[in-house]
Amino acid sequence: MPDFSEIFSLQSILNYNGGCVVAMRGKNCVAIACDLRFGVQAQTISTDFERVFEVGPHLYIGLPGLATDTQTVFQRLQFRIKMYEMREGRRVKPRTLMAMVQNLLYERRFGPYFVEPVIAGLHPTTKEPYICALDLIGCECEPEDFVVSGTCSESLYGMCETTWREDMEPDDLFECISQSLVNAFDRDALSGWGAVVHVIEQDKVTTRYLKCRQD
Amino acid sequence: MATEVMEVGDYMRDPRKHHFSPYMDNGGTTVAIAGDDFVMVASDLRLSRGFNIFSREQSKIFGLTPKTMLASTGCWADVLTLNKVLQARLTMYSHEHHDVMSTTAVAQLLSTMLYWRRFFPYYVSNILVGLDEEGKGVVYHYDPVGHMEKLTYSAAGASVSQIQPLLDNQIDALNMKNVTPPKMTKELAHQLIHDAFISAAERDINTGDGVIIHTITKEGTSEEKIKLRRD
Amino acid sequence: MALEALHGITRYHSKNEMLRDEMMIPDMENLSNQCQLAIPSIPKGEVNVGEYLVDETGRKIKLNYAHGTTTLGFKFDGGVIMAVDSRATSGQYIGSGNVKKIIEINPYLLGTMAGGAADCTYWERVLAKQCRIYELRNRERISVAAASKLLANMVYQYKGYGLSMGVMIAGWDKKGPGLYYVDNDGNRMPGNAFSVGSGSIYAYGVLDSGYSKDLSDAEAQELGRRAIYHATHRDAYSGGIVRVYHIKEDGWIKISEEDCKDLHYKYADEKSAFS
Repeated sequence: MPDFSEIFSLQSILNYNGGCVVAMRGKNCVAIACDLRFGVQAQTISTDFERVFEVGPHLYIGLPGLATDTQTVFQRLQFRIKMYEMREGRRVKPRTLMAMVQNLLYERRFGPYFVEPVIAGLHPTTKEPYICALDLIGCECEPEDFVVSGTCSESLYGMCETTWREDMEPDDLFECISQSLVNAFDRDALSGWGAVVHVIEQDKVTTRYLKCRQD
Repeated sequence: MATEVMEVGDYMRDPRKHHFSPYMDNGGTTVAIAGDDFVMVASDLRLSRGFNIFSREQSKIFGLTPKTMLASTGCWADVLTLNKVLQARLTMYSHEHHDVMSTTAVAQLLSTMLYWRRFFPYYVSNILVGLDEEGKGVVYHYDPVGHMEKLTYSAAGASVSQIQPLLDNQIDALNMKNVTPPKMTKELAHQLIHDAFISAAERDINTGDGVIIHTITKEGTSEEKIKLRRD
Repeated sequence: MALEALHGITRYHSKNEMLRDEMMIPDMENLSNQCQLAIPSIPKGEVNVGEYLVDETGRKIKLNYAHGTTTLGFKFDGGVIMAVDSRATSGQYIGSGNVKKIIEINPYLLGTMAGGAADCTYWERVLAKQCRIYELRNRERISVAAASKLLANMVYQYKGYGLSMGVMIAGWDKKGPGLYYVDNDGNRMPGNAFSVGSGSIYAYGVLDSGYSKDLSDAEAQELGRRAIYHATHRDAYSGGIVRVYHIKEDGWIKISEEDCKDLHYKYADEKSAFS
């Protein structure tokens, strides 16, 4: 019997459970999307594991990486957001959230959480679109176009780089982010099994579940 | 490579075992797209090693016969050796048979030659393109030890994971509802190759400087160079 | 060489010999004797080669091995069913989603492919040649037992060199349906049902629960298809297209090639209609 254990050998703890997140900026809107797989290396455990969470009106955070840290970081972040909102009496702004995540992650500089967060949202007052990605110890990256994170980030870069255009309307943005995500994770063994897309506009948020390959 | 600082004389230290690493990754990306009466193959022009650039003018495409071309990336030393050996085999064949080898025969020969070195492989990702007996474009994709797959389009090399999903989406119309795959034309193939390399050069340091695109039709071959970012 | 010329002795019998000599082209023995492969001249352990390649910086180099796989084969009253997926992965990257993992050796023999894609295709191609030569010499078809033994003996020569293959050889001969499992260690065994590959644990679950000798042809084909489909769903390294072949007395026939995506939603519809 050939030894199949080699393919299960751990390349990185970030790839242990699989999963990916992508966010894109459009015209007065942003979109954030993720896959739905929760696996343990080669084995798919469930296909309804959402790794993008709503943390405020028009504000979402995606936490791809090690699933236990996805949950822990989200819970600890939610605690800090609630404390902030009670103390300040106002909702958290996208850049403030980014700073909070930075703080949370850098506190564990030498024993990090294995998540690489992605933030997408609209500023509560100016309605300015905001996207941002951080590494696992909190170094931020705030580009103008799109951010990617997770097990198939290379494929996502390739797809987004060719399909993204400036000033997309919400419908175009949805089509662009969906095609980028689904075609990218179809070339990746560790993510896929369904996808969810949130398109965040000034007056509404549209959440859609995509029909995807299940292999 | 970083220079090691010698604190004590080399002769005073314990004997150390040095390993010979015969492989090097020299980057480079290739893409091939076949149509009904043509085949297009392209490669970037950068030859690199880690963060260093060896050349900005190095095509990775080799003409084998008037109807067949080979695009190889990986360890450049292995690319050159494999090509030399393959070229010689093709010359020997033409001496013996007074005819050039067909694309399908070259494809199988290459697979067998790669498998010959199964236990000390050529570290090369190959794409073989050409026109088959009926004049249709064909693309063969290889792994380093000679597993061969016949396709209509393929990417290989450093930026394969950036480019391949795009080609799946644009050529096979995967994950697009109510869209039939487009008929491949030279214009569409050219546009896709151009877009794919611009994106790859944007995000991958091992791809860049320029693209060379070869087109094979029954009338003959043509080539074109396009500039890419050089940083 | 000058002396040879003086005496009118031609050193080279053909232009090709001269060419090969001058360019130092290695004589690739496997072009004439397929069982002879190059053995590295550098002692093992001195070179970073083996299961995988390592470059100068110590990084693992990807080989497009079809490591993750689900294949299965089983015998029943109506013959042999073989079913496979079609995914080839190198690391986590899906190199191809359309690999033909059932190799058609001849109209009465099939081989499956799990492990190294190149290893399986190469050796089963050599096997196909050997089987044809046997037919020409003996004026009868080779038995499944003999064919599988030819393969097992060939790969046994390279035991310990790092070949990676777990294959099933199936066919129909004088004794009726035949099914053998052969792998790179030299194991070879007959059996009623096998599944090989990273998704085999899931395929066995479905196969064993639905298996019996007296299945109808359609039931047996559907059992194979379902077993592979369930494996592709749970195993990350299996997927693509589910191919089903059926071997009967007059040779193999291809039953179906269905995309996992279509199969999944077909089965999901059936399930919801039932409940």
